[in-house]
Amino acid sequence: MASTACFIIVSRNDIPIYEAEVGSAVKKEDAAQQHQFILHAALDVVQDLAWTTSAMFLKAIDRFNDLVVSVYVTAGHTRLMLLHDSRNEDGIKSFFQEVHELYIKVLLNPLYLPGSRITSSHFDTKVRALARKYL
Amino acid sequence: MLLVCRCVFVYSWSISCLSFICLFFHVQIDRMGQKDPILEEEVKYRYNNVISHYRKSFIQDNAQRVSPLSFELEATLKLARFLCRREMAKEVVELLTAAADGAKSLIDASDRLILYVEIARLFGTLGYHRKAAFFSRQVAQLYLQQENGLAAISAMQVLAMTTKAYRVQSRASDSKHSLPSEIGPSHADGGKMHHHSVVSLFESQWSTLQMVVLREILMSSVRAGDPLAAWSAAARLLRCYYPLITPAGQNGLATALKNSSERLPSGTRCADPALPFIRLHSFPLQPSQMDIIKRNPAREDWWAGSAPSGPFIYTPFSKGEPNDTSKQELIWIVGEPVQVLVELANPCGFDLMVESIYLSVHSGNFDAFPIRVNLPPNSSKVITLSGIPTSVGHVTIPGCTVHCFGVITEHLFKDVDNLLHGAAQGLVLSDPFRCCGSAKLRNVSVPHISVVPPLPLLVSRIVGGDGAVILYEGEIRDVWISLANAGTVPVEQAHISLSGKNQDAVISVAYETLKSALPLKPGAEVTLPVTLKAWQLGLVDPDNAAGKSASGSTGRQSKDGISPILLIHYTGPLTNPGEPPENGSSVPPGRRLVVPLHICVLQGLSLVKARLLSMEIPAHIGENLPKPVRLDNGSTEEVTISESKADGLVKIDPFRGSWGLRFLELELSNPTDVVFEISVSVQLENSSDVDNPSVDQDASELGYPKTRIDRDYSARVLIPLEHFKLPVLDGSFFVKDSQADGTSSGRTLSFSDKTSKAELNASIKNLISRIKLRWQSGRNSSGELNIKDAIQAALQTSVMDILLPDPLTFGFKLSKNGAGHAAKLDSPKESNVQVPSTSKGSVLAHDMTPMEVLVRNNTMEMIKMRFSIRCRDVAGANCVEGDKATVLWSGVLSGVTMEVPPLQEVKHSFSLYFLVPGEYTLVAAAVIDDPNDILRARARSVSSNEPIFCRGPPFHVRVIGTA
Repeated sequence: MASTACFIIVSRNDIPIYEAEVGSAVKKEDAAQQHQFILHAALDVVQDLAWTTSAMFLKAIDRFNDLVVSVYVTAGHTRLMLLHDSRNEDGIKSFFQEVHELYIKVLLNPLYLPGSRITSSHFDTKVRALARKYL
Repeated sequence: MLLVCRCVFVYSWSISCLSFICLFFHVQIDRMGQKDPILEEEVKYRYNNVISHYRKSFIQDNAQRVSPLSFELEATLKLARFLCRREMAKEVVELLTAAADGAKSLIDASDRLILYVEIARLFGTLGYHRKAAFFSRQVAQLYLQQENGLAAISAMQVLAMTTKAYRVQSRASDSKHSLPSEIGPSHADGGKMHHHSVVSLFESQWSTLQMVVLREILMSSVRAGDPLAAWSAAARLLRCYYPLITPAGQNGLATALKNSSERLPSGTRCADPALPFIRLHSFPLQPSQMDIIKRNPAREDWWAGSAPSGPFIYTPFSKGEPNDTSKQELIWIVGEPVQVLVELANPCGFDLMVESIYLSVHSGNFDAFPIRVNLPPNSSKVITLSGIPTSVGHVTIPGCTVHCFGVITEHLFKDVDNLLHGAAQGLVLSDPFRCCGSAKLRNVSVPHISVVPPLPLLVSRIVGGDGAVILYEGEIRDVWISLANAGTVPVEQAHISLSGKNQDAVISVAYETLKSALPLKPGAEVTLPVTLKAWQLGLVDPDNAAGKSASGSTGRQSKDGISPILLIHYTGPLTNPGEPPENGSSVPPGRRLVVPLHICVLQGLSLVKARLLSMEIPAHIGENLPKPVRLDNGSTEEVTISESKADGLVKIDPFRGSWGLRFLELELSNPTDVVFEISVSVQLENSSDVDNPSVDQDASELGYPKTRIDRDYSARVLIPLEHFKLPVLDGSFFVKDSQADGTSSGRTLSFSDKTSKAELNASIKNLISRIKLRWQSGRNSSGELNIKDAIQAALQTSVMDILLPDPLTFGFKLSKNGAGHAAKLDSPKESNVQVPSTSKGSVLAHDMTPMEVLVRNNTMEMIKMRFSIRCRDVAGANCVEGDKATVLWSGVLSGVTMEVPPLQEVKHSFSLYFLVPGEYTLVAAAVIDDPNDILRARARSVSSNEPIFCRGPPFHVRVIGTA
């Protein structure tokens, strides 16, 4: 499992709708903020890159210091972003695909307003389980 | 040229030369003003060469005194700048990322700072604002690591540039500020937005980042000594992210705000509002004293329809919901204070002291009054903000101006509305009002407010106390309502109408008084008398009376909504003097004054029950026949004895006799704690004395002496009903029987039957309505008890007996010669006997007394009958027949066959000889032969062959003398 991994889902309106620190490293507030700053900045790169390929998984698109940003863009332009320090590309891809399925399930909930925060604890548990499995 | 380049290329120490060449190309391209792809490729190639050379040298020679890293980075950045175009974004990003990676190896912080500045600038040029912001923040952090003021200022300035990308910009720098205003109108009319537009309102809710950035701005501006920037950052941080900040952190921010404001000159304004959250609560409806009614100039009665006439002042069907302020237009009046309710919320954990808050109006025709509010932690408060419109026009209220934490800020309602809307959708962290325990409020938008010129203003006052008028049931009293014009314009038109429940409690309103006082000048006053009659308590709500009897107290009833309401619509002149008459559409509106008449009805005298009693008081025989008082005096043949008439109702005159006297007994109880005096009066219809004008009009209404009913006592009042006999027994009163008869068939008859039935009913009603029971308590309470229903119920069963005469009436009297004798004999004895009144018709014993009996037929048909006369003594034994007869007689006393023509009288004479003085009773009775159906119906006989008896009233004979 990667020592640092920050997973975030950004809606098509650039609002983070789900955030999770899924790394095994000891959590520090400063670091978590820094992760978010890096992910936020990476959105600029994703914005351009997403239209250059038909693939959903954009691989590692950005990096800062030792941290790499991998992105998976859904058809609805929701971005699954992972900040990590490991280089396990296949695991990340599988992780993204499974989370995408989970996300679609959330979208199917008639009480969920698309674009709003995902507060389902079930979703959170599943995402963390997937992170343990693949990262 | 390229050849030359290749020639001069020497490894290792000619790199700087090469970069010089690159620069040369660079300059060349810039000069040419167009991009030559070949040339560009070449430059790229050269730069990459240079970069790779630097890298190699770095790896090879670590011990070199001057690190080639800075040269490599410089080259990278130069290439990036050279390529910095939208199309080349990918390459530039790669270059810049590589450059950023190099920053790790830079030892000198200022080198890193310069590197980041350059990267941020290049990203910014590329249009990657978030990237640029990210590196700017890195720059700011590096600045902040330097412990000096100038560096702090630089940090602050750099951070200020990042605020746009992180969407935490100050409102002052946000020039367009267009997003909320775009949303505003659609918000107002729809109330329901598209999800996307709602979501876009809260775009980039990267709250963690935003808080960090704001905190850094706050820190840097504190360090840089810019109190206003610090205040603004702290305000933004507190307002937007209070749910994410611990109470201790909130307190820290409040302290930061206070500290900053201390270093600011007083009266400093800041574009960013801090606390509290302010939303529009409502525009209170005009107090009912000052309702404004739109006036239709085309209609004379403009007030009609302006107020629903039902028991509810505001019905869902009336024009426009009063609370629906979005549709409603508000009218404010120049010079009259208005109020607006706003709700303040302090969701933070410290006491919030709002030094002053007032409505912020930009139209310049409104004077707002500031107030001071203190909001405890986690609380919300609805406060009333007031002001005075100063000139005609329109007023818009976008928000409030608040002086809090030492700085003046403007709080817009729109912002909070958007925030609440987002909270409702789950897009914003928290609803500041709900977390303070305030109820969810419907979205209130600012209505269209127009200010009109001054209007008159009537103020009402109830003369002699503004409290409830306390009345006993049925009490009639006048109240005086004083109306004063408190406005600056005269009242020119006024109209009074009634509304609410129990409208019939208002008997009269002196409308003329008001009308004659018009125009009512400013300051003038007019007093209107209004006559009230208290309603019956039991009819209004029976449970109240029940509860009262249980508790035993005389409960006061002053519930709202049961009293009538006076509505006074009034208006000033059509055009104001000194103003040009505008086009007809804009007539100054009228106003409505609502005067609720607070009537408190106490339970008063109550009627327990009404009962019909019958009595037979024997008449004394005399020279005259008893005088039946007829309903219709014109048809009676006898002249009434008018002087005895008035007291005849009170005292039984034995000489006038009575036949089946009936009384109406009213049982009254007084559950109150005051004394009531009641008086029963019977109104006599068409005062019978056309032939006797000397009798004054009072005689037409017979009063009984007053009866006093003490508290908690009951009393009974007897009302004789002898006056209510019809003169003729007519078949038409028995409609059913005559129809069954069959002899008198045809519609004409049934029609006349109907009419006479109606007449009968009318006469019953008439009878009832003529009995009045008035009461008086104390000096100024008086009223009338409603006993109609009770009487009707009492009379229902026996109304026929009361109203209809017997078919035959019998009257005894002394014949002339005998009477004269008796009178002669009586006169000297009057003083001795001491009972002069009774001696009048006395008969002497041992004397032949000629008498006559008059049989009157009260029907329209001939009656054949057999009648007999009986004389009984005190013991009731027959004293004419039998062994011990004490009376001798001459003439026929029994089995007299007689035919009496309709409405005629037949006289039958006889004489009696009394052997023993004493009291005797004469009774005549008849058996009617061949009775018709009318008589049967009157006698209530069941079978057709049953004999019909008719018995006359007893007559008393006093026989004097010695035995």
